Amino acid sequence: MSALPRSRRYQIAVPLALFIVVLAWWHPYAVIEGVQRAGLYAAIALPMALILGIVGIVNLAHGDFLMLGAYLAYWFAVHTQGDPLVAILPAALGLFLLGAVVYRATIKHVIGSSELSQLLLTFGLAIVLQQTATLLWTSQPVSINTEYTSTSATIGSLTFGTYGFVYVAAAVIEFAGLTFFLQRTRLGQAASASGQNPVGARIVGINVDRVYLIVFSISLALAGAVGVLFLTRHAVFPLVGGGLTFKSFCLAAMAGLGNLRGILWCSLILGLAESLVSTSKEYAGWADLIFFVAIVAVILVQSHRRQVT
Amino acid sequence: MAFPLYAGVYLQHTATIILTYLCLALSWDMLVRTGQISFGVAGFFGIGAYSAALTALNLKLDPLLSIAVGGLAAMAAALVLGLTTLQLRGMYFAITTLALTEIFRVIVRNLPGLTGGPEGTVLPSAIFDGDPTKTYWLLLAIALVTIAISEAFQRTRVYFAITSIRHDEMVARSSGLDIFKYAVFVFAVTSAIQGIVGASFAQQYAFVSPEGTFDIDFTLLPIAMCLLGGMHSTLGPIIGALVLGSVAEYLKLQLPYGHLLVYGAVITLVILLMPQGVAGKMKEQFVREQ
Amino acid sequence: MTGKRMRAVCVGCILLAALISACAPAAAPGTPPATPTVGTTPAAAAQPAAAVKKPIKLGAVIPLGDITGAQSAKAMKLAVKEINAKGGVLGRPLELIVVDDEMKPDKGAAALDKLATVDKVDVFIGGMASGVLLGQAPTLKKYAKVTVWTGAASSKCEEAIGADADWFFHIHPWDYNQGASYEEGWTAITKRYPQIKVENQFWAYEEGAFGAGTFKASQDLYNQWAKIQGQSFKSAAVGGGDYRAVLRQAKEAKPDVFIWVGYEPDAMGFVQQAKEIGFAPPIFLGSPPGWPVAFGKSPLSEAVWLYGMWAPAIKEVSDVSKGFLDAYVKEYGEEPATYFSPLGYANVYIVAEAIRRAGTIDKPALITALEKTEYKSPTGDVVTFTPSKIIKHQGIKKQKILQYQHGQQQVIWPFEVATAKPAYPFPSWEGR
Repeated sequence: MSALPRSRRYQIAVPLALFIVVLAWWHPYAVIEGVQRAGLYAAIALPMALILGIVGIVNLAHGDFLMLGAYLAYWFAVHTQGDPLVAILPAALGLFLLGAVVYRATIKHVIGSSELSQLLLTFGLAIVLQQTATLLWTSQPVSINTEYTSTSATIGSLTFGTYGFVYVAAAVIEFAGLTFFLQRTRLGQAASASGQNPVGARIVGINVDRVYLIVFSISLALAGAVGVLFLTRHAVFPLVGGGLTFKSFCLAAMAGLGNLRGILWCSLILGLAESLVSTSKEYAGWADLIFFVAIVAVILVQSHRRQVT
Repeated sequence: MAFPLYAGVYLQHTATIILTYLCLALSWDMLVRTGQISFGVAGFFGIGAYSAALTALNLKLDPLLSIAVGGLAAMAAALVLGLTTLQLRGMYFAITTLALTEIFRVIVRNLPGLTGGPEGTVLPSAIFDGDPTKTYWLLLAIALVTIAISEAFQRTRVYFAITSIRHDEMVARSSGLDIFKYAVFVFAVTSAIQGIVGASFAQQYAFVSPEGTFDIDFTLLPIAMCLLGGMHSTLGPIIGALVLGSVAEYLKLQLPYGHLLVYGAVITLVILLMPQGVAGKMKEQFVREQ
Repeated sequence: MTGKRMRAVCVGCILLAALISACAPAAAPGTPPATPTVGTTPAAAAQPAAAVKKPIKLGAVIPLGDITGAQSAKAMKLAVKEINAKGGVLGRPLELIVVDDEMKPDKGAAALDKLATVDKVDVFIGGMASGVLLGQAPTLKKYAKVTVWTGAASSKCEEAIGADADWFFHIHPWDYNQGASYEEGWTAITKRYPQIKVENQFWAYEEGAFGAGTFKASQDLYNQWAKIQGQSFKSAAVGGGDYRAVLRQAKEAKPDVFIWVGYEPDAMGFVQQAKEIGFAPPIFLGSPPGWPVAFGKSPLSEAVWLYGMWAPAIKEVSDVSKGFLDAYVKEYGEEPATYFSPLGYANVYIVAEAIRRAGTIDKPALITALEKTEYKSPTGDVVTFTPSKIIKHQGIKKQKILQYQHGQQQVIWPFEVATAKPAYPFPSWEGR
């Protein structure tokens, strides 16, 4: 959870701000949609970075838990004829409990094993979740349309969608909430300590196992809640989680493992870059390349600076 | 090993698929033994497949020769990448290789003139005119060579040094051995194996496409097989590939709906019950009995 | 150390051999196949004679994890059950053996090997994804068994199968068949309804094989009669889902027709985001292989056009279609969601009727009989086999142009099976 030194922060923030200003003048839509896209990426990646930073596990089933939250919301909306957003709390709660069960039954037993066994365990969980969803709901996607999803605003000659900013808000709230939790609450401080030095934390009397359980459950609860938001604007199907896990994993690695603030920056950079490339007619097919080249570039530059070991 | 010859075409084919994954798993494990985890197996598999398919099609290269070209192409790519990225450690190297796989895929998809673009490229005929027995022998030969290389690596001086210091980086640095150079070498060799396997796959099924050839499963399944069988050995990945490969096929026939669910559950359970992998468990039993 | 390792490797080799030989007895002839088989002897009571005789085996390779394949398999089982209830074919019952291809070319090819050598099926049927058929082509050619294939639209597959394959019968239209069919359809529609304009088209296509291939095939064809431009997008099926950049380009182009070619998960996003940026072209058309659950229930679906092969509404104009739909709903308690179910049903009937006409399952006679196929399919078409660009036996060449009206997919063209008149132009997004 190491924050960057102040001078380094400016080194990133100032060029980025300049870039955004220039881009906004040149391609206003690329900025608006890029920021919205960045919000979605960050909202999805933050819970994964939380587990990675504190429990130290790459949760390859992250996107699949999100998928589960989305299906819960869908089920809720269909059966109550209500708004899917109402399901945010039940989905978060349900996933929190599921998180506790999954942690107790599986994750707990691989804490301290090699990172690869942990990886494979969550890979196995991902397959189980995907296939259960396929058996329960078939591969046919579900989607929900609400009136507010496609609201738009007009400023001057610009007409743009506003609902996408929900994801920006979600990411900011998540980030602020998690930062508050980790820095200001006793449990959060214990979690930070366990994340940095589990052995030391144990020595000073922190119940590391319980901390891990709670952090894991919180991460799943957040994934569930984001899943509900995801459903309001995206189709959901059993295999939808794979791509989300993949992007979150890349973002977490780019940001520096467990660095929550870094997730916001990296999401913003990637969101803007992707949006910019997709607005170009000839090179739209290369948008993915930007994402991955950016990741490799950032990792290489970081390694030269910090000598990543 | 000649059993599948008498077991009929279907088992030969299944065995060929298992051997394909066996080579991928074993080559992946070889790199792990140097302390580096690669998520780029599908990338080198794909480079090999495309190089073989394109040279066979455009330069009218003999299929077997084109498979060698596929291996060389993957090796060349790995050398360049290894020199720039193998200094990274742990997850950073892993994620870089994963990103590179995707980069290869995007490039291949966006160069329709050369690669056939998103639709891929079809070869006029499969290797050996689709003779399953000859294809089986080919994969068996590649697998035996891979096993031999794996065994050879385990006998090098550098390997012993690395094993004894696997958990102690400081010793590694002070030992004076150039681990980086060794890692680049191993990376190049294992990527060549993955390229050769990809090339054979392309020749066997006579087509390449960005979606099918760079499938992330070519990375994930071999890793799962290694972990299941047990890492850091020749035997572990072999057992893992055999078990997981045959379990997957058997389950599919028994349980047409939901077989992948059981497959996922098996992976989860094995990790929980046998964290050292099947080979590790067997060794443990063996030691206990003595 | 060395000796121990050597031993370990030997153990590994022995294990490999043991495992594979352990599998062998299961494959020996005589033991019942592990694959689920359906409809072996359901006619036992009605037709004791049929039950005693050796069944005619149809081997289907289908992706069971996907809804297209799952429903295709269900429809095939239904057809087999119906045929067997009427005494089977040539006095012998049909037996359907389904193997999952898991949407993987290698698994699909191995499945063919199993069906051919272990189950010893008489005819290959099934199919869905083009990417799987490409990998199966060498195996199909190796056996050169009579093959009647439901799926695959990519003309790359035709290239892979080749011109010599007189045993290969393909039901689903190739991508360029679809393109040509739409040209025919729109020409007919604009002739009957002169106010409808289709000259200026903007295509948004997903960047993978399906979208890019369809676009390319159409682009080559269309320059004669329509001005067509296009832009790729990343499908939500593979992690995309933001279509605003491509929609905005489409808006600037002011097309008569906007077409998106993608997958089911893209359907809702396209209408939502088109509404968001205020893009309502006179014709808004989607061309995915299927639609999401309850898409029609959303007010945004109203007057959305679609390309397809079948809709439940066809039952109103086709008795065969009604018969199929009623039987399917009765059997499984749900309406099929994809056109792969009527196609799967047709697949079995086409084979069964050809065997009946041939009076045998011998290959040359069966091929001749299949060539004379004139099957009234539940998709509303009459299936006959005629040459396409490369292969000799291409079945359906015509697609349908449909439109969502009041929550239902209605057929607009071909007029012989039309169930509704077109709603034109596309109503604005205001108020929905």
